[in-house]
Amino acid sequence: MSTSKTTWHHIRRSPFQSLAAISTLAFSFFVFSAFYIISSGLSSTLKFFESKPEITIFLKDGLDKDTVESIQKEISSYPDLKEIRFISKEKALEIYKEQNKDNQMLTEMVTASILPASFEISALNPNILSQIAQNFSQKKDIVDEIIYQQDVVQSLITWTNNIRRFGIILVSVLATLAFFVISVIIGMKITNRKDEIKISRLLGASRFYTKKAFLLEGIIYGILGSFIGWLIASLLAYHFANDINNFFKPVTFIRFDLNYYLKILGIANLAGVTISYLASLVGVRRYIK
Amino acid sequence: MKIKFKKVSKNYGIVSALKKTNFSINDGEFLLLIGPSGAGKSTILKLILGQIKPSYGQILINGTIWGNNKKAIDQTRRKIGVIFQDYQLIPDKSIEENIALALDIVSYPKNRIQTRIDQVIEQVDLSTRRFLFPSQLSGGELQRTALARALAIEPEVILADEPTGNLDIDNSWKLIKLLKEINKSTGTTIILATHDLDLIESLNTRTISIKNGAIVKDTAKTTK
Repeated sequence: MSTSKTTWHHIRRSPFQSLAAISTLAFSFFVFSAFYIISSGLSSTLKFFESKPEITIFLKDGLDKDTVESIQKEISSYPDLKEIRFISKEKALEIYKEQNKDNQMLTEMVTASILPASFEISALNPNILSQIAQNFSQKKDIVDEIIYQQDVVQSLITWTNNIRRFGIILVSVLATLAFFVISVIIGMKITNRKDEIKISRLLGASRFYTKKAFLLEGIIYGILGSFIGWLIASLLAYHFANDINNFFKPVTFIRFDLNYYLKILGIANLAGVTISYLASLVGVRRYIK
Repeated sequence: MKIKFKKVSKNYGIVSALKKTNFSINDGEFLLLIGPSGAGKSTILKLILGQIKPSYGQILINGTIWGNNKKAIDQTRRKIGVIFQDYQLIPDKSIEENIALALDIVSYPKNRIQTRIDQVIEQVDLSTRRFLFPSQLSGGELQRTALARALAIEPEVILADEPTGNLDIDNSWKLIKLLKEINKSTGTTIILATHDLDLIESLNTRTISIKNGAIVKDTAKTTK
């Protein structure tokens, strides 16, 4: 009787224990895959902002043409600028409509009057943007708000790091839990099959012979658990990808790249097999002396 | 396989199951261990199988001290076919699967396992019961399954602990006849523990009588 047949026999004889082991692992790897996808999305967002040293100065309503021109003149006087773009209220409405063309209700409710005019300034030297931000933030009579990408980047870095840290802690806790659950379940299975092991030993089976079916069982749990967890997370990501990507536009927060998902599966499988193999090894060592 | 007991004693706490026992078994012998229940017959078989260790003395198998090397124990057990008093069959495996397990343990060639199972099942007349589980078999059928499993691995030695205990007279004779044939045709050493007097008288073979853990008679010595 081959090891795989014996392993299948063990799984079939106590399906609920096997289900518990696989579910625990599947949940752990669902969380792992989900955090991996979120973390990648945040990294893409971060890269997008980092690659665009930009500042947006929103102007107060009711400024005359001369004032706007003088502001533009002042901005132009700074060195190392790449581009200065004036976005009028009408242009802002155009952009807004383009971004929300799928949602008619949103476009119907907004008019040019409620959108502010702004200057979008990009620079070759990000330090210049810092000076512009500092200077214009004091001109409260003409400037409504300044969005400086550096702040966004800083805030994103903080968020990304916190989410990654939380993900690592959560996945570690779940992986530890899965480790103990598998170890205990394998131990229970060995106890259930104590007589079979004893008889096999009397017939000349080596220790490894009696252990290998249980070790293979652990590996199967690892493969199945990590695959199921990955599959659920990937399907959910695929399902919500459009909505999430629309929200993060123009950043592609959730990727549609098969290789990327296969990479996550590879990592999950490797980690799953390692955890479950080590857990079953602990169980086997404890119960088969 | 040559087996030698040198002053072997086995104590269970204060109870002495075997006392300074000396005897040898040569290749191809058919040996009867006889004596009343609790005499020490099963203890001798367990010691040969390495299931228990002697409290004192040494057991030599092919001249090597038996029981110290765990790997050697596994290897030697693969050359021993055992018919346990309580059968020791795996309850959730069918007759075929129980035999297949024994063959797998001894690394019997995979492509010949099914043929070998068919042969031994035919030999013990269990062809119609091959897919049944131990709980579905009678005492006699369980005994024959245990015999089939022991025969399957083509052992050098067969240890049989009261193998006729659950068999009717006809089946007892069939089993003994079968063991005799195997002993004669293959030279397999047979060590059979029994207290069946009819059986003992009918078999003209070496007999060791044990009482209270001590050998009281060994026909090999008395005939010399």
